[in-house]
Amino acid sequence: MGRTRAPRLWSALAAVLAGAPLVVLPLRAVADVWRAPAVVPQELGTRGLATLASPGTRAGEAVATSLAVAAAATLLAVLLGWPAARALRDAPRRRRLVLLGLLGLPLLVPPFAVGSGLAVWFLQLGLADTALGLVAGHLVYVLPYVVLLLAAAFGSEVRKLEEVASTLGAGRTARLRFVTVPAAARPLSVAALLGFLVSWSDYGTSLAVGGGRLMLPLVLLPFVGRDPQVASTIALVFLVPPVVALLALRRVWR
Amino acid sequence: MPVSLRARPWVAALPALLTVAVLFGGALAGAVGSSLQPDPVAGGEQSLAAWREVLADPAFHAALAFTAWMAVVTTVLAVPAAVLVAVAVRGRAWARTAAALPILVPHLLVAVVTVAWLGPGGLAERLVGALPVDVVRAPSGLGVVVVYLFKEVPFLALLILAVWDGDIGAREEAAAVHGAGARARLLHVVLPAVRGPVLVGALIVAAFVVGSFEVPLVVGPTRPETVATYALRVTQVADLAGRARSAVALLVTTGATLLLAVVAAVALRGRHG
Repeated sequence: MGRTRAPRLWSALAAVLAGAPLVVLPLRAVADVWRAPAVVPQELGTRGLATLASPGTRAGEAVATSLAVAAAATLLAVLLGWPAARALRDAPRRRRLVLLGLLGLPLLVPPFAVGSGLAVWFLQLGLADTALGLVAGHLVYVLPYVVLLLAAAFGSEVRKLEEVASTLGAGRTARLRFVTVPAAARPLSVAALLGFLVSWSDYGTSLAVGGGRLMLPLVLLPFVGRDPQVASTIALVFLVPPVVALLALRRVWR
Repeated sequence: MPVSLRARPWVAALPALLTVAVLFGGALAGAVGSSLQPDPVAGGEQSLAAWREVLADPAFHAALAFTAWMAVVTTVLAVPAAVLVAVAVRGRAWARTAAALPILVPHLLVAVVTVAWLGPGGLAERLVGALPVDVVRAPSGLGVVVVYLFKEVPFLALLILAVWDGDIGAREEAAAVHGAGARARLLHVVLPAVRGPVLVGALIVAAFVVGSFEVPLVVGPTRPETVATYALRVTQVADLAGRARSAVALLVTTGATLLLAVVAAVALRGRHG
């Protein structure tokens, strides 16, 4: 009863509504000529791809920066978030709520507000317009998500396994290597994936703290009104990590 | 032995707490400083001039009202829609996976897709003829609301499912044994149990709607602005006072979302003791 299923039609409708709108992107990306009111493009071509690849667009540079910043922010968030997530598991309820509230605070504040404030502060610290400053700006949002998601990894089962290992004489390093990490591997990968996507998708912080460094969302936005074909082509590149994440998460949710 | 394996909460969480405190606290301090003194490097006299100007600016009042309107409309529509989606995909892994896709897709990308479908000359118009209402760039903010609903309904739906898959199943079964039908179980067992997480999720959604500006930049109207686009516009003037005015607008938004969080926390506390 706890697993009652909805009629298949409902499920299909929800799935189609969520996925189908994105189908327009590849179509728009290859439509060199698509005048209204035609439902299909009059001419297919690679103009979008050529603009994406042209040195003037600097898309390659933007992708590389976005990837590097997201990877660095995620790695830092996992390293900092791991002990915090364990602490959340072990804390009494009231303390857990306080910890959650403090760590989740940035999620309630607009990224552009945090970014603008950080830009001013980094100017005084000499961190303005540096890669380190950009990673730190992204970390403000990646860290809370990673902690919240990692907290799910350290359920009572993991603690029981750790306790058994400890009783059998396993030291701290052995417990971490042979018990905790394998037991928490799945939620850890989910947290890392979603943390990466939070940074990959961020616009406000990148604009405020980036100091002119090109990130993929910053390259994409000006094309939206100006050239829908190029915007759709860049959007397809922007879509790659979310699709990879979805395929990876399918195994977790199965 | 088991006791020694428990993490000491404050010590273990300290690196993360310090990081948030230093970066987030530094950001807020930077914003406050900037609102009082537009040039933090050169210094100069502190004043409340930017605060007075922004708080008296009719364009800011309009932006505040428009932002609040969109946050309320999005949240009020997203919560019941999320319940429907949760009911629709529950128990089917493929449907749940597909429904989760919008959560992973960046807001800006959803805005691009919205323009391609619902913008002037978009695919929807070509398929069904003129749309009954303007969506993209509509002064009502409909385009912005559509983007947020596409993104946030699945987020709230998965939040509901995460709780629903837990121990609610057993309670549902007990209710079924006593003759409760599917609708009665949803209304009287499931919904009361997911109310807390949904409230927290709705708060995150509302805060995001208030703060994001890439979505209104792409699909929102030029006028009225949102507070975030107002804050961006005023920085694009040549003088440093623009930076101070931007900081004021963003601090007002920050204050509003934090106040909302306090209200939600009090509501949750009242509900759960």
